[in-house]
Amino acid sequence: MNGRLEITGLKKRFGGLTAVNGVSFAVEPGEVIGLLGPNGSGKTTVMNMVSGALRADAGSIRFDGVELTRLKPNKIAKHGVARTFQLVRPLPTLSVAENVLLSFAFGRKRHWGREAQMLVEEKLEFVGLGGRGGEEVGNLTYIDQKRMELARALASEPKLLLLDEWLAGLNPSELRIGIDLVRHLQGLGMSVLLVEHIMEAVRALCSRCVVMSAGEVIASGESEAVLKAPQVISAYLGDDHA
Amino acid sequence: MIENLVNGLVLGGTYALVAMGLTIQYGIARIMNLAFGDLIIAACFGTFVLYSGFALSPVLALFLIVPLGFAFNYFIYQIVMRPLVARAPNSEALEVDSILVTFGLLFVIQGILLVIFGGAYTSYSYLNTPVNVLGTIVAANRLVAFVLALIFGAGILFVLFRTRWGTTLRAVALAPESAPLYGIDVNASARLAFAIGGALAASGGVVVSMYQTFTATAGVVFTMKALIVVILGGKGSLTGALVAGLLLGVVETMVAAYIDPGLTLAATYTVFLLLLLVRPSGMFGKAG
Amino acid sequence: MKQTVFILLGLAVLALLAAAPYLLSDYGTALLLGMTGYITLATAWAMFSGPTRYVSLATVAFFGIGAYTVAVLSEVLPYPLVLLVAALIGLTVAIIVGLSTLRLAGVYFVIFTFGLAELVRQTVTWWEVNVTETLGRYIFLPFEGRHIYWQLLALLVVTLLISWWIGRSRYGLALKAIGDDETVAEHAGINVPGLKLALFAISATIITLVGAIQAPRWTYIEPSIVFNPTVSFLTLIMALLGGPSKLWGPMVGAIPLFLLFEWLSANFPDHFSILLGALFIMIVFFMPKGILAKLEDLRAGGAS
Repeated sequence: MNGRLEITGLKKRFGGLTAVNGVSFAVEPGEVIGLLGPNGSGKTTVMNMVSGALRADAGSIRFDGVELTRLKPNKIAKHGVARTFQLVRPLPTLSVAENVLLSFAFGRKRHWGREAQMLVEEKLEFVGLGGRGGEEVGNLTYIDQKRMELARALASEPKLLLLDEWLAGLNPSELRIGIDLVRHLQGLGMSVLLVEHIMEAVRALCSRCVVMSAGEVIASGESEAVLKAPQVISAYLGDDHA
Repeated sequence: MIENLVNGLVLGGTYALVAMGLTIQYGIARIMNLAFGDLIIAACFGTFVLYSGFALSPVLALFLIVPLGFAFNYFIYQIVMRPLVARAPNSEALEVDSILVTFGLLFVIQGILLVIFGGAYTSYSYLNTPVNVLGTIVAANRLVAFVLALIFGAGILFVLFRTRWGTTLRAVALAPESAPLYGIDVNASARLAFAIGGALAASGGVVVSMYQTFTATAGVVFTMKALIVVILGGKGSLTGALVAGLLLGVVETMVAAYIDPGLTLAATYTVFLLLLLVRPSGMFGKAG
Repeated sequence: MKQTVFILLGLAVLALLAAAPYLLSDYGTALLLGMTGYITLATAWAMFSGPTRYVSLATVAFFGIGAYTVAVLSEVLPYPLVLLVAALIGLTVAIIVGLSTLRLAGVYFVIFTFGLAELVRQTVTWWEVNVTETLGRYIFLPFEGRHIYWQLLALLVVTLLISWWIGRSRYGLALKAIGDDETVAEHAGINVPGLKLALFAISATIITLVGAIQAPRWTYIEPSIVFNPTVSFLTLIMALLGGPSKLWGPMVGAIPLFLLFEWLSANFPDHFSILLGALFIMIVFFMPKGILAKLEDLRAGGAS
């Protein structure tokens, strides 16, 4: 399994506001990397450009040698990039299993039929929703909806997973479960790009971090070192922990 | 050429007026009203009855029909739309529901008009005297119609941009979720906006009946044109509706004069298609 | 085992329906013909608009295109070829409409389809008046009511089979996902605009064929007859009453409503559209998801 993401000179403007201004970094195969920064620094915009929800104004996004920059989200999914959403987005008229089945049916390998149903059950088991495929998504608790969304992202069998504040809003014990799940993914050789505010999770999961502020990368490298860098503390932690 | 341009502007003035009404209903009250054109036609017939039955001049008829249009839409919102707004989980669901309900309303209004007036083309002759404008001859009724459209258009712009009421309504249009935080009653604002939109439709009906023939079944075409003007100008943009309305009026008149009167709707659609090609993300401000 | 029983049962019902013209009076056959036509329209409409929630108001535009094509070509080409040409014209119009609107927010689609029938009607009228100079045409095809009925029945079976197949396939799941949240659907790997376009084109082609097959009933056709907006309206009400997201929903709505419309138009011809409009508003108010969903809710409510 490959999964190298390379972003160079990425730019995005919304009207007069430059949300992302020349961002470059790479995610190596099998690496869990944290994308940090204060609110409004452009992290989610970067995520949205990688997944194809937004189109970059300039720069390039290459994944395993394929240029993703001008592709639509469905094509990007087929190249092996999957995502979760900052606010969970379950499909309410589908059951839990159908939500996950959808990604198997249209993902990288297009599974369908009995085989796909077994795979769905496997994925639900993996995220801790084993045996609950028949339930309505509306009846799931928040953490279970997040689990379901992770299963749905994994069901397209990605090589790179984009997690947009996936751990936000969880209580401490749920957080530990969440961190273990992500670590497990890494064990399977998947690359993960993690937009996250929770430092505990970043320290536990990410060997490297990229920190953004006002649309630009202000620091990147080993997590421990980056989180101690003075410009990071003033731009990011300074706001949060002052 | 000048004559057609003047006639086009007269027609466009009416389009702009009714499109403003529709954009207020859609932009502020969030109701996509497919029965809008049938309200216009109802006002046409109302003016016709007052003029030919009671010898009341269309200009005076305005004072009766416009408040009636306001009141009718006020109650329609309260009785029909309000429950839909209350039950809709999101704006998409409300859009679908309002489309369906007003599609039903369209048939009700059209049916009532057909029962009373039949399906024939109707018109009356009011101020059909030639007037010289910029060296060309224009019927006086068209001039009156144009001036009235200007007065109503300017009036509504004044209300929306220069009064407290207007500021409140525009706030609801921009941010319906956060408006209540500022003590704005969104429901009352939406009802008011829907009623104002209806009053504009009624005024448009009175104005258009002065110089055009109309039938009970012509509502669909008016709704269609108003919708296209709203999209051309951008949702919720009144100045956009004004410019786009005038543009559509001129395009139509030119097509009718130089190509064929039977192709005006085709021309309208062509304008719409071109717009969709040039601005594929839509003119609603948001992408998709 | 259970499936075999269902298939046998379905075939028996179908055989009975096919034999119906021999058992019924001419009036009965005509009634069945009209009903089959509307069931097909409602099922085809719901095929696209049900799961995606893109409300198409253009049913009669396609229906009329089908009917008018038959009127123009029935003397020139052999009948099967006429149907083929009609289907191709309907398909082409659907693709043009779909390509220009389905990439955009649903409201553009609604607006475009809302005026489409009127546009096609005016354009055809203009063409007939100015180019061919014949407004109104006669259709002389050697069909009796039962021949038309059998064709419609066959089309209905095909439509139901397509609908059933889509419902079970991955595309059925994808359409439901599109109705819920297009962004999520796209990120799951679905080509959203392509799928919407394909479905709309299939649905519109079937509707075109209903119009084409029914055309010989009129013998005399002019644009105002075949582009009557009531057809769009009836189709919409039927599909909504039964429930557009279920395979049998449109049929469940179409049968009682068709009979009601027949009765209304015989007894209250002048007030037909008022009653219809009022009824439709009631349906949107009290059964927004249709009878079948309402029954399910009631059953679920009773059980818990």
